[in-house]
Amino acid sequence: MKTLAGRIAFNLFAWTVVLVTAFPLIWMILTSVKPQFELFRIPPTFWPEQITFEHYVRLIYETPFLKYMRNSLILGFTTTIVVVVVATLGAHSLVRFRYPGRERLAQMVLFTYLLPSVVLILPLYLMMVWLGIANTIFSLVIAYTTFALPYALWLLRSFMQGIPDDLEAAALVDGATRMEAFVDVILPQALPGIISTSLFTFILAWNEYLYALVLVNTDEARPLTTGVMSMLVSAFNIEWSLLMAASVMMSLPLIIIFAFLQKYLTRGFGAGGVKG
Amino acid sequence: MADVSFQKVRKAFGSAVAVKSLDLAIGSGEFVSLLGPSGCGKTTTLRMLAGLEFPTEGEIRIGDRVVNAVPPGQRDIAMVFQSYALYPHMSVGENIAYPLKKRGVGRAERDAKVASVAATLQLGALLDRKPRQLSGGQQQRVALGRALVRDPKVFLLDEPLSNLDAKLRAHMRAELIELHRKLGKTFIYVTHDQLEAMTMSDRIAVMHEGDLQQFGAPMQVYEKPANLFVAGFIGSPAMNLLPGMIESSGSGLAFVRQGLRLAVGAGGQAGQKVTIGVRPEDIALGSGPFVATVRIVEPTGHETIVMADIGGQSAIVRVQPDTAHVVGSETPFAVRTSRLHAFDSVTGARLDLAFAPPAS
Repeated sequence: MKTLAGRIAFNLFAWTVVLVTAFPLIWMILTSVKPQFELFRIPPTFWPEQITFEHYVRLIYETPFLKYMRNSLILGFTTTIVVVVVATLGAHSLVRFRYPGRERLAQMVLFTYLLPSVVLILPLYLMMVWLGIANTIFSLVIAYTTFALPYALWLLRSFMQGIPDDLEAAALVDGATRMEAFVDVILPQALPGIISTSLFTFILAWNEYLYALVLVNTDEARPLTTGVMSMLVSAFNIEWSLLMAASVMMSLPLIIIFAFLQKYLTRGFGAGGVKG
Repeated sequence: MADVSFQKVRKAFGSAVAVKSLDLAIGSGEFVSLLGPSGCGKTTTLRMLAGLEFPTEGEIRIGDRVVNAVPPGQRDIAMVFQSYALYPHMSVGENIAYPLKKRGVGRAERDAKVASVAATLQLGALLDRKPRQLSGGQQQRVALGRALVRDPKVFLLDEPLSNLDAKLRAHMRAELIELHRKLGKTFIYVTHDQLEAMTMSDRIAVMHEGDLQQFGAPMQVYEKPANLFVAGFIGSPAMNLLPGMIESSGSGLAFVRQGLRLAVGAGGQAGQKVTIGVRPEDIALGSGPFVATVRIVEPTGHETIVMADIGGQSAIVRVQPDTAHVVGSETPFAVRTSRLHAFDSVTGARLDLAFAPPAS
């Protein structure tokens, strides 16, 4: 049994870690509701003396923030749908069907995941230009798919391996076609894996910066990450209060999604670890 | 007329051959067991019939239709899997209704059929439960219900009782026999349990290493095993197989091995290597011309199993429970020569040898 002192020490340590991790987020939220003149006061204030939402109002009405938000949402959802559909079917094929080179194929997929994504930027950019889709959201969807897909495929593959072959065989004998068996029986079983894969892909597409910076150079297609930076950060000035307000609003969708689907995400990362 | 037939069916997975060249004709309404140890090809045979595996060579027919390329759902078969393969996210009712749904049966008819099957299998109270909320025996019934609901031509059962405890297994065995009698459909039953095969089947197909060893009625397989494998596999405790040699003996021939010498009445030739098979119940301890050493005595209540050493080889003998045998003692014994089996030691094939009754 633990002693009281031990428990207190452990709790203190845990809360210190939590505070250190959470402090930037807390600071971000507090800064976003402080009036401009309070930001650079010496000594700095922790709690705002006066709470204001003017930065949020300015962000929404006076900047292209909402356009970036729309782009990011389209980008996030499209990438997620493409990746999950392809990865689910691909993983099913890798697990269920016997064909030559199946294992090699799976290994090659993993290999592409091991490649640093920065290596692919230039070839991808040149390809997009050649295809005439540079500077579009679609080009980012393709780029994100290239590095989200391998991981998604492996994650779903380990999930699908846990689904007994007999279930699909039973559905086939019961009169289902291959596709019906997949939809009726395999998909519901793989749902936790599909949800965690979707979350992973959406977060990746939502937070990605480097590709968005290189591949897209127009406000019409810019997502939030690069949009906010180019709008508020220049060589001469950083609009801190607007930047913090933008950061808060960018984090909101992820926080909401996380709150609801967290248990699937952790289950996804544990997949394949334990059989049965 | 054969309801199901395999003609020269071969199945290979890469370089591994699961089924070598299977010829098998199963009559309409028959209950046939595919019996053999693990890896003998029985499940592969069943899965080929179900359409879940495709034969590498040969032809499979259901009725007069060649089904090699017919998808499983269109073969008019139903299958019960060893794992039951119940759809975990569907309720019991939905599980049973699934095959009907996939065949476009209307909701009202579906519900009526599910209710009727549920009544037959005493599942009525469980229709809204999920499979994981059921016991093993109940899950087994649901799997059976899903097969029954469609009224298929052929039922395929892949070791459906192997996950049940002994008592429930005996009970379900009786129910399956009853069900088969009531439905009059063709049942093809895969098992490694000879007791199931013997008690339930009209005919048993014994398989080993991808080859069909023997196909016949249970008692025929028991009384006249076609080769050494079948002889050793069918029967519990197993038949004693004692290798020896045919030698000239006076005017005739005799089977000779250490501790045993049996006059051969007909068949065989001197110098032939022969293995004789004696069932445990066909050795009589207590009197006779030969001597055995008692090694182990296992009373089971209704009988006693004695392991005895006959000329350097241990043999199993079934005796009455009231006879006392002392471990380590030597005891005379006799064999019932009319019930002896003989096999060629080299090819394993059954030999037509008649043994003369011992001179008294």
